[in-house]
Amino acid sequence: MSVMSVRVIVLSACAKHLIAGLVMLVLAGPATAHGAFLDVAEVDAIRIQARYDTGEVMGNAQVAVFPPDDPAQPWLVGQTDATGHFVFTPDDRTGRWAVQVREAGHGAIGYVEVGANGTTTITQGSAGLTWAQRLLMIACVVWGAIGTALYFRRPRPTKAA
Amino acid sequence: MLRLLSSSFLSAILATSAAAEGTLTVFANGEELATEGFKAPALTRDGWDLQFDHIYVTLAGVTAMQTNTPYDAAAGGTPDAKTTVTFDDAEQLTIDLTDTDADGRVRIGSIDAPEGHYNAVTWSIVPAETGDWAGQSMVLIGTATRDGETVDFTLTSADGHDYTCGEYVGDDRKGFVATGSEADLELTFHLDHVFGRADREATDSMNRLALGFDAFASGGTQEIALSGLHVGHVGEGHCAVSLR
Repeated sequence: MSVMSVRVIVLSACAKHLIAGLVMLVLAGPATAHGAFLDVAEVDAIRIQARYDTGEVMGNAQVAVFPPDDPAQPWLVGQTDATGHFVFTPDDRTGRWAVQVREAGHGAIGYVEVGANGTTTITQGSAGLTWAQRLLMIACVVWGAIGTALYFRRPRPTKAA
Repeated sequence: MLRLLSSSFLSAILATSAAAEGTLTVFANGEELATEGFKAPALTRDGWDLQFDHIYVTLAGVTAMQTNTPYDAAAGGTPDAKTTVTFDDAEQLTIDLTDTDADGRVRIGSIDAPEGHYNAVTWSIVPAETGDWAGQSMVLIGTATRDGETVDFTLTSADGHDYTCGEYVGDDRKGFVATGSEADLELTFHLDHVFGRADREATDSMNRLALGFDAFASGGTQEIALSGLHVGHVGEGHCAVSLR
């Protein structure tokens, strides 16, 4: 008999196709802060999708992300979007990251292992994916380039008078 | 009586790993539906107000584990345990989910445990070997009310189930044992999986599976089949369940 349960799909993104985030709003200067510009960077990220085993997505559900070295304290909290997705970019800490999603008394937790060489491995929550998808995820080398190789910096505009 | 049973049960706790550096306590929790009952708007799916005098559950084999790979209850199987702390399998413990501490929980026991994250737990619900309800694994005693009609009920189940669960899911992550500190885990019993909830959509899969109370509206002592209802959880996290 089918039962209600919750699963989290943790997706690792390779470079360009998932996120073009890390948008920074920078004020022109502390004393004359009337100019603003953006640094736009392209980074890799972890994407989760939370859903019930009925296929229904967990939209607008509570999300908490826990880092490897302080696993009892949320490092990031947020909400899934209407399609059950949530995207985040861990910092440079290696080890097991945990992502917990809760909605209306039901919840699930998924894990991503981030290695020192930037590799990621899905350790739980990938049920429902094809083997090709799993291999693709495991093959993704993501974190070594964060903030460096894939970091774009636009020329700083001249400060407005 | 239950407290005496609990004390003797605690003495039977065994640790299979050598070092003991912190304390791990296991609680059971029937949540507000056990202690406060099914009150509007959270009536049963068929509109009954339920109040419980007792909810007896007989447990056995409560075991907490640190696993190499996080246990995926949806996938099932056996946890890949590297450290295990367990109760003596020969013992049983009957608890009452309505007889709680100030936090609404029933303390099952504490153990000196090697430090680490206890991210999986297994336990069984088994027919009691002794006591007033010998032969029953769960007994729910209370009063149901709807539209001015009041029914006293006693629902008994002799079903035995084995639960295998991953990490607790709730307001806080649980099970982190550090040297000299205390941590806890929780076996959570979701009564709405038995009776459903009127404040959820009728199409909610929980409500589709739940028994409701209409079938027991004649009152008195009746059997209730709990197989397939997945009453046991770890917080909001689900468990793999098998019928004994």
